[in-house]
Amino acid sequence: MSEHPPPSRTRPIVVVGATSAVAQAAIRLWAGRGATLMLIGRNGAALEPIAADARVRGAGDVTVHAGELTDLAFIEACCTELTPAIALVAHGSLTDSSRAEASAAYLDDELRLNFVSTAQWMQRLALACERGGGGTVVALSSVAGDRGRGSNHAYGAAKAGLTAFCSGLRARMAARGVHVLTVKPGFIDSPMTAHITKKGALWATPERIAEGTLNAIDRRRNVVYLPGFWALIMLVIKHVPERVFKRLKF
Amino acid sequence: MNPQSLDQPWGRGFRVEHRHAFADGATLPAATFLPRGLGRSYGDVCLNDGGTLLHTFRRDRLLAFDEASGVLHCESGATLADIAQVMLPRGWFLPVVPGTRYVTVGGAIANDVHGKNHHIAGTFGRFVDAITLMRSDRAAPLELTATDPAFATTIAGLGLSGLMLDVRLRLMRVPGPGIEQETHRFGGRDGSGIDDNLELDADSSGWAYTVGWIDTLDRGLRGVFFRGRHAEGPASWFAPQPSRLTLPIDAPPWLLGHGSAKAFNALYYHLQSRRKPQRKQVPIWPFFFPLDAIGGWNRAYGRRGFIQYQFVVPTTAARETVPRILAHLRDAGVASYLAVIKTFGEIASPGILSFPMAGTTVALDIPAPDARDLSALDRADAMVADAGGRVYPAKDARMSPAMFRRFYPRWHELEAARDPAISSSFWRRVTARA
Repeated sequence: MSEHPPPSRTRPIVVVGATSAVAQAAIRLWAGRGATLMLIGRNGAALEPIAADARVRGAGDVTVHAGELTDLAFIEACCTELTPAIALVAHGSLTDSSRAEASAAYLDDELRLNFVSTAQWMQRLALACERGGGGTVVALSSVAGDRGRGSNHAYGAAKAGLTAFCSGLRARMAARGVHVLTVKPGFIDSPMTAHITKKGALWATPERIAEGTLNAIDRRRNVVYLPGFWALIMLVIKHVPERVFKRLKF
Repeated sequence: MNPQSLDQPWGRGFRVEHRHAFADGATLPAATFLPRGLGRSYGDVCLNDGGTLLHTFRRDRLLAFDEASGVLHCESGATLADIAQVMLPRGWFLPVVPGTRYVTVGGAIANDVHGKNHHIAGTFGRFVDAITLMRSDRAAPLELTATDPAFATTIAGLGLSGLMLDVRLRLMRVPGPGIEQETHRFGGRDGSGIDDNLELDADSSGWAYTVGWIDTLDRGLRGVFFRGRHAEGPASWFAPQPSRLTLPIDAPPWLLGHGSAKAFNALYYHLQSRRKPQRKQVPIWPFFFPLDAIGGWNRAYGRRGFIQYQFVVPTTAARETVPRILAHLRDAGVASYLAVIKTFGEIASPGILSFPMAGTTVALDIPAPDARDLSALDRADAMVADAGGRVYPAKDARMSPAMFRRFYPRWHELEAARDPAISSSFWRRVTARA
């Protein structure tokens, strides 16, 4: 087991999309270490019990900030004063590909949420970390961003954009004391995937993803697949020739 | 902690069809549903064949803890495992725990679970101060306390009285993460096991926890008696050891017969017990939850699964009836590993359909029961009923409607209090017209 450095009491850990299953699991782990937490999400009523839970589990000060995550003014307002030690951007929506095909407005909203807003948060939070003297910003991307599949072309594209943005941001911030971590989980058994009831060995719990994320932060990893076996799966998937790949139904 | 399989009970053996929904605390499913925690019930109380399961296992937040009163306010999907692990380092523990910590608070209330301290503490439901209950026929959630009639049909209400949103639960102060444990061998002479067990039990004042393991295949009903009380312990005992062993496959059927059970029981008896009583300090976790150390231990019973048969008979009848029921099952060739015996105390539950009563309870695991086993159990049901006892619904998948009504004559009060949108496979089975 790796040593956990004691989190800074004065510099908070910021979680954007704090109601997501992986975020909630990570918040519990940080709360157990006594961290100061700032929880950001769209639904204030849903954030309150998460904050209460973190307090019972031993977190220091926990604050809640509710607002539209795609709203630039809200992003600015949250980030201007902030100097986080760690920031996790975890919000997203599993885009329905058929609906995205049928509705231009839906496709636009989904891309805005999954790519544009996550990139905006990562950018502002990286600068906020730098202002505080350094830190780690973490994006919850996905294995879906490694290659566009027919069944999730819009979601995959947004995650591909986020992954690329993070790799560039990492290079920009490397000499400025800010570490950028890209987490690529595989299938997660969460309310987002509740409609899929037949879940096999590839499915992981949000707790397992959260644990892997905190480990990766402690070890200053750049890109992690969680669970690790997805690195191998995606290596294969990325090397399937396009003329074959386009005929695959998955 | 995710449920092992959403369409099977813990005892496995059969599988049904469900739709699935997650409880969000704001809306209820449109169709007939059953609130469900971690699905650790052995039989069909946690199933709703052809209907919806409303999962609560992600509504598991701890909302507030009052250090002065020890009252924990939490969502109903919070697990006993989680609560114990968060609270133990602060000197608090659950007032009642069943044999596994992988159950939700809602499930513990719905089945009004009991533990090794029933003789001094009563059931889990006695430590519930308040329940917020959401019903399909009420616009706003109800805030229930012990004086509400609906409280008595929610404690041990099998999840039928509504969806529990959150709960106020009284925890208990403990000196540390240790247990001072004593083990005593008993029985071994013809039929003497029950008497010896009752004697050890009577001799255990000052011990908060008592339980016995008996070899029901042995004529003398030999066994090992365990008693324990809370104690201090090193800080390394605050967290349970991660489960190192997970059963990856189903045990083959040939391992599960009568002969194997006999050999297993003899081996366990000789490994677990010395002629002289043993005393030692152990961590809290293996004392209460020995099987939780093995992930998916239910697979040890193979693909065809197992059922558990737990009955209680009143104190006055115990000495005579328990050996008679066990002899009947032995003569009928019912194989059983690891039967557990426990003396319940007088403390009444607030729930009208609660299982425990002052007397002696025995729980048997029966792998892959066949028609012969099942008819032997039907006969045992009648013996239990004649003695004024009852059988535990949380573990049942087979009792007849007629027997259920004899065991629980107030069942119609729960039927009257049932949320019209909620049902379970168990409830439809035992309330079916004969």
